[in-house]
Amino acid sequence: MTAPALRVEAITKRFGALTALDGVTMGVDEGEILGILGDNGAGKSTLMKVITGYHPPTSGEVFVRGEKVALRSVDHARSLGIDCVYQDLALVNGLSVAHNLFLNREILRRFPPRMLDNPAMRRRAAAVLADIGVNIPDVDAEVQHLSGGQRQAIAVARAVSGQARILLLDEPLAAMGAREAALIIELIRRLRAKGGLAIVMVMHNYAQTLDLADRIILMQHGTITYERRTAETSVEELLSIVRREYQAVGPH
Amino acid sequence: MPRRGLLNRLLRLREASILAVGIVLVVYFRAANPYFLTDANLETLSQFIAATAIIACGEIMLLICGEIDLSAGHVFALAPFVMHFLDEAGLPMPAALVLALGGCAVVGLINGLITVRLRVPSFVTTLGTFSLLNGFTLTISHGSPVETGDEGGFADAFGAGGYSEIIWAVAIALGVHFVLRQTRWGLYTIAAGGNPEGAAEAGIRVGRIKVGNFVLTSVLGGFAGILEAFRIGSTDPLAGGTAIMFLAVAAGVIGGTPLAGGSGTVLGGLVGAAVLGVLRDGFTLQGINAFTFDMILGAAILVAMVANIHVGRLRRRV
Amino acid sequence: MTKQNKFAVGRRLAVGGAALAPALALLAGHPALAALPSHPRWKLVFVNHVTTNPFFVPTQYGIQDACAAFGCDYQWTGSATSNAAEMVNAMNAAIAAKVDAIAVSLVDPVAFDRPIERAFAAGIPVFSYNADAPKSARLAYIGQDLYKSGVMMGERIVSLIPSGVVALFIATPGQLNIQPRIDGAQDAIKQSGKPIQAEVVATGPTVDEELSRIRAWYIGHQEAKGMFAVDAGSTQGVSEVIRSMNLVAKGMHGGGFDLLPRTLTNIHDGALDFTIDQQPYLQGFYTVMEMVTWLLSGGLTGPAEINTGLKFVTRETVGPYLTTSTRYEGKTDKEAVVPRPAKV
Repeated sequence: MTAPALRVEAITKRFGALTALDGVTMGVDEGEILGILGDNGAGKSTLMKVITGYHPPTSGEVFVRGEKVALRSVDHARSLGIDCVYQDLALVNGLSVAHNLFLNREILRRFPPRMLDNPAMRRRAAAVLADIGVNIPDVDAEVQHLSGGQRQAIAVARAVSGQARILLLDEPLAAMGAREAALIIELIRRLRAKGGLAIVMVMHNYAQTLDLADRIILMQHGTITYERRTAETSVEELLSIVRREYQAVGPH
Repeated sequence: MPRRGLLNRLLRLREASILAVGIVLVVYFRAANPYFLTDANLETLSQFIAATAIIACGEIMLLICGEIDLSAGHVFALAPFVMHFLDEAGLPMPAALVLALGGCAVVGLINGLITVRLRVPSFVTTLGTFSLLNGFTLTISHGSPVETGDEGGFADAFGAGGYSEIIWAVAIALGVHFVLRQTRWGLYTIAAGGNPEGAAEAGIRVGRIKVGNFVLTSVLGGFAGILEAFRIGSTDPLAGGTAIMFLAVAAGVIGGTPLAGGSGTVLGGLVGAAVLGVLRDGFTLQGINAFTFDMILGAAILVAMVANIHVGRLRRRV
Repeated sequence: MTKQNKFAVGRRLAVGGAALAPALALLAGHPALAALPSHPRWKLVFVNHVTTNPFFVPTQYGIQDACAAFGCDYQWTGSATSNAAEMVNAMNAAIAAKVDAIAVSLVDPVAFDRPIERAFAAGIPVFSYNADAPKSARLAYIGQDLYKSGVMMGERIVSLIPSGVVALFIATPGQLNIQPRIDGAQDAIKQSGKPIQAEVVATGPTVDEELSRIRAWYIGHQEAKGMFAVDAGSTQGVSEVIRSMNLVAKGMHGGGFDLLPRTLTNIHDGALDFTIDQQPYLQGFYTVMEMVTWLLSGGLTGPAEINTGLKFVTRETVGPYLTTSTRYEGKTDKEAVVPRPAKV
């Protein structure tokens, strides 16, 4: 059996006296969509930041495709194929679709040297978008004129075209109407079908997550309290677990 | 069909509206005064425009990446003095000029590092540096103007010759425009202003971009000051100052670069400087007196800008 | 004595000229009755270094009156902040507009050389007023003998203060309309041989800044015996500081140039020993006359240097300046003939 695309074991992250992650062990396989659920403060974003190389863990180990790695930086993680699409999308409004797609990875001319090869970038951008089935007619348009769904699609396309193997999505359906959310859900399914990609999504909406993901993990107070294949669980069950915790702890 | 496409594309240009305003103004002043388009006045007009346009190129790059330089008008006064002292010390004038620009680069470096590393808003940083520069210039010059060395051909090429200033201005504007549109530096400048966190996320060295643009602005400010010093033959500690810095920023803004940053146009700034120059030269040519001059200039700027904004809105609907 | 007469005559000339103005304007329309041969309405451009400075308000009245008298139009332009580049631009625009004559306050020794050359090449005469550059090619200078006025101020200082520290305030050092005064004053003080230590202090081109700087200097030099200035704004500032900090009681002496209203009031109230009138009205009026006579005769007559004179105004003589509000001192724009004093 091949090693999972990504696996973390006993990850603990402390910030001074605060323990944000307490012995988290999880993994995701290539071709799988994993959903991470949990309330605010549960540790979801900290886990993302450890996986993307933004924060080094206080203790614990990270394995990429079976090999132990110590992630030095976001760039290092990216070079290993770990890329994240953040909520603020990291798109630059004043630039075109093509320029955003190739941000910090621009295609340069051979002559004159070090100048942008805009026609080449436009062609490649159109190809990349067509490949993952995203419909954006004019790759020269500035992204500020596009809808939320189109912008999200471009952000995802950027990660994918950058040879990501482990794609993390931070709230990919946030602030989206039903129609646009459906488009993004379709996009994520197409990405899975393409193969070669392990997808991890941090989400708030239980129903959407169960609809899209193959497996979910529930985080509470820095640990994983529940893990199940989505086919074997339901929204009611997840809600009851969360409610149980409230009743035990009380509102605070 | 292709011809319609070209017209369409011209109209869609961000600079289209300010260009339209400029053309209308030229037509107006030509109608009001037969001497407006004569050789003598065109040369004068070009001298009204050039220095502002050169400084505007730098300020526009800074505005795009979210910063501003209030001290550009003061390196403008300092650079010719540095050149003068180096010349007195025996260096050949071209070397003195280059070294003076090097000094300006250092000023820009200081502006940039304080803003980026010490996280001081650039407005405040350059507020401090412009006062420093002002005092420094007054001190080394003892407050007195000096005669700019007259090097014949060299001086002619660097400001003394009638059209030399505007030729430099256009060349610099084209160069900076090219950088903005065709190089990674330009792309990253836009990214640094439009989404600094996102740009940093993507791995762009936002700090380095900003510092570089501060250096560019100071060098351009000093160069403009040197050109003007050769043009009028006098190096004056009171030259330039906040007035010309403000004109340069204004040229950028009316040319289509928003103060908030994230986007901009260098060619628009050139046209903006031209519009301001046409207004100032045109009204002087017509004999408007100093007291009413500012009132009329202010009213004209408002009218021109209202027109600019509305033509711009039309353009976006095209 | 003779000097006083010359100034009185000059003033009467100005008065007479202003009175004639409306009359001449009417006559100009009737060639047979005109005092001068009929000529086009010449365009005369005055380029100034501080266009909005109150000192030049009487100058502009003088220009207006003379233009009305001689049937010309004028433009008052230049820089509001002593910016030589702006003044050069204004001159170039005037040359391009093919005006008939240009007058410029030459506040920079070299910046105006090339524009003057270009004006001459285009057939436009150039005169200087209020400030002059020693090597300039301008046709003539109309204004005060700046160095001499400084010498006279220096002599006055020596007569008031036997020894001690004295400040000489100047708005913008090196500027040609005021620097020679400081030079003259310093030379006169040195000539006297008295143990007076004269410090030259720059105050800036705007009135509000000047006041602050003078105040700050005094607070740092409270042993000073005298504060003097060579430009209108600094003089006003000196008089204000002496008055508001009650320095006369401490033996402070003060004086300067020009007739800003507060300066005059402070002289009247004893806060300032003297001011020197450089007769700005004449600087405007006589310059226009020079231009007109040159243009009328095609350059055959004129140009002539005109010294608009120097007059000490003290507590004894300040009265009429305060009680009469005239166009000639710039206090009102009403046209009037001022009644002559009983005794000259």
